[in-house]
Amino acid sequence: MLNPSTAGQPAAAGELGSSLKSRSGKPFDRKSRLFFTNRLFRYICIGCAAFVCLILLAILGLMFRTGILTFRDVSLSEFFFSAEWVPENEQYGALSFIFGTLALTLLTLAISVPISIFVAVFLAVMTPGWLKNLLRPVMDLLVGIPSVVYGYLGLTILIPLIRDLTGSSMGDGLLAASLVLTVMVLPTISRISDDAISAVPKRYVDASYALGGTRFQTIFKVMLPAAKSGIMYAVILGMARAIGETMAVVMVIGNTPQLADSLLKPTSVLTSNIVMQIPNVPFDSTWNYALYMMGFLLLVISLLMIVAVRLFQRKGGRV
Amino acid sequence: MKWFKKLAVVTLAAAFTLSAVTSAGAASKLSGKVVINGSSALLPLTLQAANEFKKLHPKVKISASAAGSVTGPQAVRKGIADIGACDWDASTDVPGFKKFTGQVANKVAVIPFAAVVNSNVKVDNLTTKQLQDIFSGKVTNWKDVGGSDAEIVVVNRSFGSGTRVNFQLKALKGSDFMSKGSNYKEVKSSGDMKTAVESTPNAIGYMDLAYVTSKMTALKIDGVAPTEANVINKKYDVWSYGYYMTSEKPSDATKEFIKYVQSAKFQNGSLKKLKFIPISAMK
Repeated sequence: MLNPSTAGQPAAAGELGSSLKSRSGKPFDRKSRLFFTNRLFRYICIGCAAFVCLILLAILGLMFRTGILTFRDVSLSEFFFSAEWVPENEQYGALSFIFGTLALTLLTLAISVPISIFVAVFLAVMTPGWLKNLLRPVMDLLVGIPSVVYGYLGLTILIPLIRDLTGSSMGDGLLAASLVLTVMVLPTISRISDDAISAVPKRYVDASYALGGTRFQTIFKVMLPAAKSGIMYAVILGMARAIGETMAVVMVIGNTPQLADSLLKPTSVLTSNIVMQIPNVPFDSTWNYALYMMGFLLLVISLLMIVAVRLFQRKGGRV
Repeated sequence: MKWFKKLAVVTLAAAFTLSAVTSAGAASKLSGKVVINGSSALLPLTLQAANEFKKLHPKVKISASAAGSVTGPQAVRKGIADIGACDWDASTDVPGFKKFTGQVANKVAVIPFAAVVNSNVKVDNLTTKQLQDIFSGKVTNWKDVGGSDAEIVVVNRSFGSGTRVNFQLKALKGSDFMSKGSNYKEVKSSGDMKTAVESTPNAIGYMDLAYVTSKMTALKIDGVAPTEANVINKKYDVWSYGYYMTSEKPSDATKEFIKYVQSAKFQNGSLKKLKFIPISAMK
């Protein structure tokens, strides 16, 4: 807020300064107008912030309130530990979707994190300046490609390829989905890790070289550990994107509600099952509530991840 | 320049009132609002009819959108929509969906369905029994139904799809679908079904006849080819009516709109062009 006592510089504090400090006696003089507009602006800002919080709480509340109705007809253990999802027979076991989401995310990270870190090291340490300036915008553009494009390419190019290479008759499944997701999260993880590695203080690197460390030792023993929290932050952001991704996954996963005991077996995840079934579901049915519950689960998982990101960010500040 | 702007505004306003008066004078006095929701298979037909209807009755506002079949009768029950387009008669029970009481079903079109296979499959005719066995997962290899030795990939619509309900009722005579297996997948729309059957070798699926392309084979069922002619002469019985569900007392505008869709002019004109079959052909 504007502070009247320091507002005017001594040189320019003529008429302006004095009218701010003392009232002129009119009912709406400069001081009270300023006071009023400053206050108003403050309340508008607070109101906007409160509105955003309200939206979040309302979404959480609605998802939870509708989702919890599932458990009037379905027991907790059936929902979380049964893999039988047959809405037409009143069987609502979401285990295969929860398992599918977790397995898909882990598989994606297992493929994408090592590659991303090598890309990030390459970008931050080994690239000459002009190539760096070329590659970084390219990575940023990759982040912006709509997921449906990735999904379509997966459907038309990746799946026939998998079919030919593995000899399976369909090709849909966790493998295809995790490869598509890897391509999607790769730029996110490597760009943020790149920033983290670039931010490692030069004196650490110099000290390592001064002690006779090779470039390999400097990168793996000094730079990566120093950038650890930044890299974790990048991985969690990538993970959040992988968990919530819907369109690209729905096109290549096969959408069959069954536990995936093989990488090439068509299966389903939380997001893809919701988007497949929500247009066809009767409004007031356990089926609908169960889909809401699955949405709520997704929401909780991503909120937990955001909390984790915050924690790592705070830690990262201390390096 | 001020006088010029004023003049322009006045002329425009006059032109608008004049045109509104003349067009309203030429057509009927019917007014109101018709909201249509439901089946995406019937949406092209609804949109076309809405465009033509608006020319006849400019005071009637029609807004049409689509989600899934079951959304239609649900929206009517909740009072959100006046007409709920649905691929089955929602005033009766069908597999998976209870009937909607207090709603009237109006037939608006005949929709034929076809079982289709990828073009690498050498089979072009299946019996109803063979179809039932394939879609329930009992038969898993094409050689068991007269094809080459290859595993069958079954592509199904997800539960709740109107096409799925009709295919199950008419082609499979009500028998159950499989729900899992390593050569089984579900897709969420007719367009996805088309892509899946076209691009997956040894795949079998089903769709509206209008979606069938030259890149796949439409199967004969019990020796009868899925053509419009065979539907009309009642040799091919895998078809169903498309319905407009309304409440028991629809508004005048709604009644008039349904009457227009069922009129011979629309049925034999635009409806045929959109590859549906007129309902009068089945009487």
